Amino acid sequence: MKDKLKIIWNGIVPSNPVLILAIGLCSVVAVTNFVKNALLMSFAFSFVLILSEVIVSSIRKWIPDEIRVPIFVVVIATFTTIAALLSHAYFPSVYDAIKLYILLVVVNCIIIGRAEAFAYKNGVFDSLLDGIGMSLGYSWVIITIAIIRELFGNGTIANIRVMPHIYQPALIMVLPPAGFLVLGVLVGWLEWSLKRKKEAKK
Amino acid sequence: MNKIVKLAVVLGVISAIAGGILAGVYQFTAPVIEARNQAALKAGLLEVFPGNYKFSELKIKLKSPDPAVTFGKIYKVEDSSGNLVGMILDVTTPGDQAPIEMLVGVNRNGTINGVKILKSLETPGLGANASNPHYYVDKKKKITFLGQFKGKKVTDPFIPKKDVIAITGATITSAAVSRGVKAAGIAAYEYMQKAGGS
Repeated sequence: MKDKLKIIWNGIVPSNPVLILAIGLCSVVAVTNFVKNALLMSFAFSFVLILSEVIVSSIRKWIPDEIRVPIFVVVIATFTTIAALLSHAYFPSVYDAIKLYILLVVVNCIIIGRAEAFAYKNGVFDSLLDGIGMSLGYSWVIITIAIIRELFGNGTIANIRVMPHIYQPALIMVLPPAGFLVLGVLVGWLEWSLKRKKEAKK
Repeated sequence: MNKIVKLAVVLGVISAIAGGILAGVYQFTAPVIEARNQAALKAGLLEVFPGNYKFSELKIKLKSPDPAVTFGKIYKVEDSSGNLVGMILDVTTPGDQAPIEMLVGVNRNGTINGVKILKSLETPGLGANASNPHYYVDKKKKITFLGQFKGKKVTDPFIPKKDVIAITGATITSAAVSRGVKAAGIAAYEYMQKAGGS
């Protein structure tokens, strides 16, 4: 039981796809300017990652080694297209804003990386847990970045006004450069707190 | 040789299954997406021509007087007894970063009835204020940037900082929208004058 929980926890902090592994960052910077964009991206990403890992791990015994990457791409592309169609049908306005990044989930290196590094070598249940952990790890980071950027860049969180009207929004926060700034600060903060914890143990 | 056949068969089977699943999901979502698009279009048309009007697509091509501005679909607006009230044009104008697509409603008497931006990629907080319903270019009268075009004659110059109030920090967006509205206004007005009595 404990090692199962560890698989989930691994994605949330120790191997966090964004803050520690630092892969798939372009869409992170692009979709985190508003919370609603980050939320839809989190759903789409989790949907594709969890289902792709489950499918890849369940058919891994029939996948010939030579063509494993094309097969991963077919599986991932299928789920990405499903996620894109569903978002287009049920969240049209958010989909219009970030549709490029939802479609680009196909080539997101986190997903193909987890398919190759984890799902191809582990059982279905463990892959499911890894998918859940990685999705949670991805989601908490991008939603946190989005909350910070929207709060300072637009004075709102998820379109609800938080800052008083007198607050003059810092536009740079919703423009791409601030994506790098906030991401960098978060990476530094996590490294710092992990290091401190390690030293405290000594 | 044998190996290659095996690889091809495996990849083929997996792709076929994936294709089948996608076809199913597409069948299921296509009508929802289509219905949403229709509803969004109807809402957009009603926004530039509010009231009890009938909208129908006109199968004509109008030449744009401004080479940078292009027209898409064209709709005519009729009242309940079938009189031509005005026209709505789907207009694409070059924005600051990407083309801006908007609906422009033109009255038969040559004034603008309403403007709605459908798609734009303007800078958030600056050019994007063009479609922000809470951003007023005239704070006292609570007139939005698009709202100021209502009732404006198509023969006016439509130049920001002269007869159009520009959005602060977004002169390019303001000018782009203004020239798009003007081009649509002139083309539609000329067409309606020629169409005359109908």
